[in-house]
Amino acid sequence: MSIQIIKQGIMDTLQDKGRYGFQHIGIPSCGYLDYLSAQLSNVIVGNPKDAPIFELHFPASSFIFKEDQTICISGANFVPVLNDKSVAMNTAMHVCKNDTLHFMQPLLGKTCYLAIKGNIDSSSWLNSKSDFISQIKTNDQFNIIVWDAENKKNSPLSDEKFESSIIDNIQKHIFNSNEIRFIPGPQWNDLSTESISNILKQPFYTSLNSNRMGYKLKGPSLQLLEEKTYLSSAVTRGTMQLLPSGEVIVLMANHQTIGGYANIGQIILVDLPKLVQHKSDTLFHLNLTNVATAHSEYKQMQQWFS
Amino acid sequence: MSKLFSNFNWKVQALGDHAIQFYLPAMMDPRVIGEIKNFNDFIVLEEIKGIKDIIPSYHSLTLIYDIEQIDEPIVFANNLIGKYKGQGEVELPNKEVNKIIEVPVCYDENFGIDLINMSSKLNLSITEIIKIHTQNIYQVYCLGFMPGFAYMGEVSSKIQFPRHPQPRQNVSAGSVGIAGAQTGIYPMHSPGGWQIIGRTPVKIFDKDPKVLSKFKMGDQIKFYPITRAEFDKLNQNEL
Repeated sequence: MSIQIIKQGIMDTLQDKGRYGFQHIGIPSCGYLDYLSAQLSNVIVGNPKDAPIFELHFPASSFIFKEDQTICISGANFVPVLNDKSVAMNTAMHVCKNDTLHFMQPLLGKTCYLAIKGNIDSSSWLNSKSDFISQIKTNDQFNIIVWDAENKKNSPLSDEKFESSIIDNIQKHIFNSNEIRFIPGPQWNDLSTESISNILKQPFYTSLNSNRMGYKLKGPSLQLLEEKTYLSSAVTRGTMQLLPSGEVIVLMANHQTIGGYANIGQIILVDLPKLVQHKSDTLFHLNLTNVATAHSEYKQMQQWFS
Repeated sequence: MSKLFSNFNWKVQALGDHAIQFYLPAMMDPRVIGEIKNFNDFIVLEEIKGIKDIIPSYHSLTLIYDIEQIDEPIVFANNLIGKYKGQGEVELPNKEVNKIIEVPVCYDENFGIDLINMSSKLNLSITEIIKIHTQNIYQVYCLGFMPGFAYMGEVSSKIQFPRHPQPRQNVSAGSVGIAGAQTGIYPMHSPGGWQIIGRTPVKIFDKDPKVLSKFKMGDQIKFYPITRAEFDKLNQNEL
């Protein structure tokens, strides 16, 4: 079984849950940008939730299936077309040998996932198949390997249908919310009073200048109480760095491991997919939350996949 | 191990919902680095389930954790500090002797593309800059920016020089640079704003999982000058 890229997209990669244990030597963790959509797609086809998956941005790659396969498309809606027929998302779909898959237009969201039932065969580096520098290219071909018994056991669903109410909940959570929550960071109190009030009251949108390293936010210009420099410390996924320009950049999967800009907060993990999928034409608000809330929601959503 | 060991007052803060940061007063100091290395090594040996990454930096140590495995992170963190403090001044079993890593550098002007400008601005000859750069033993404060990039200090005030206001699009692998009081080596071709004074033929980062980064936090580094001919003979980096 295999799948081939007919035509490469602009920034499509193979991702899994990421590469941990090497950030102390400067190696970014990488991994899915919108982990909720990726996990959802994986469990719908019957894969373990953390299986490798194709992560697509628009204009996205086109694919040809070399054998009959089961696939699922989740995350951003790029209007997927199988041969010449538009197909549904978030559902397990049977495709036949020589079927082709294209994506027509970026209707909703920014990051789309293509899950294929089975393990995508690609070389692993430091315990992860996540692409760091490379991307998938025209003519690349990936074998799809049937899960062995042990991996099959980790898959929650085998061949049962995934509950549609959970799909709806996840879709609503990611795409129907204009509230993105964060926990104040070490330099939150270094912000001017006016800036703090602006963050909490004014709307933001994502800059076109956003990628797997970070999303730049457009909104009110923010200032520190006084100009200050900081010794670099570790940053993490979701860290909100205040740039000298007064803009905020939210760090994403490929972020540098340490940073020297003011760390004013961290977007909580359950809300990161919302930000990932926010296009620059929709506004959102940033609201404060706390660790306990963030943990309980994260655990609840992970429960949905098991 | 110094008496300061028991005097360091570790504090802890949550870094969002999946990281904890331990920190000491913000300063660039080899003694602080020594303490961070001790705490780092202690946590590594604890092999705590649910800790995905342990990231040291100048004055902090950050743990990335799995939300499903660590409850009440601040309680967990304070217990960890307590356990660490409680062990007293015990030498950690696998503590390596801090040997000095010698790194050859070719300070040829074709590699050290900022040497001429630095020389005129600092009012020092290129020979003097090289002499001063190779005199100090540098400590690795942390790694970051890109895989294997080590921030080292402290550079003599005589040759400290600010970063370029606009980073270069492409700095060659092995390039040795200065940024203020710090010095470092670019492990691979990349954009970069540091003042480039030379190039090492040594491979600083290797994708081979058995090799990876040449340096780690707390290492001590000394540079020594080599000729262009020696560089060509030794070079392991992509030109």
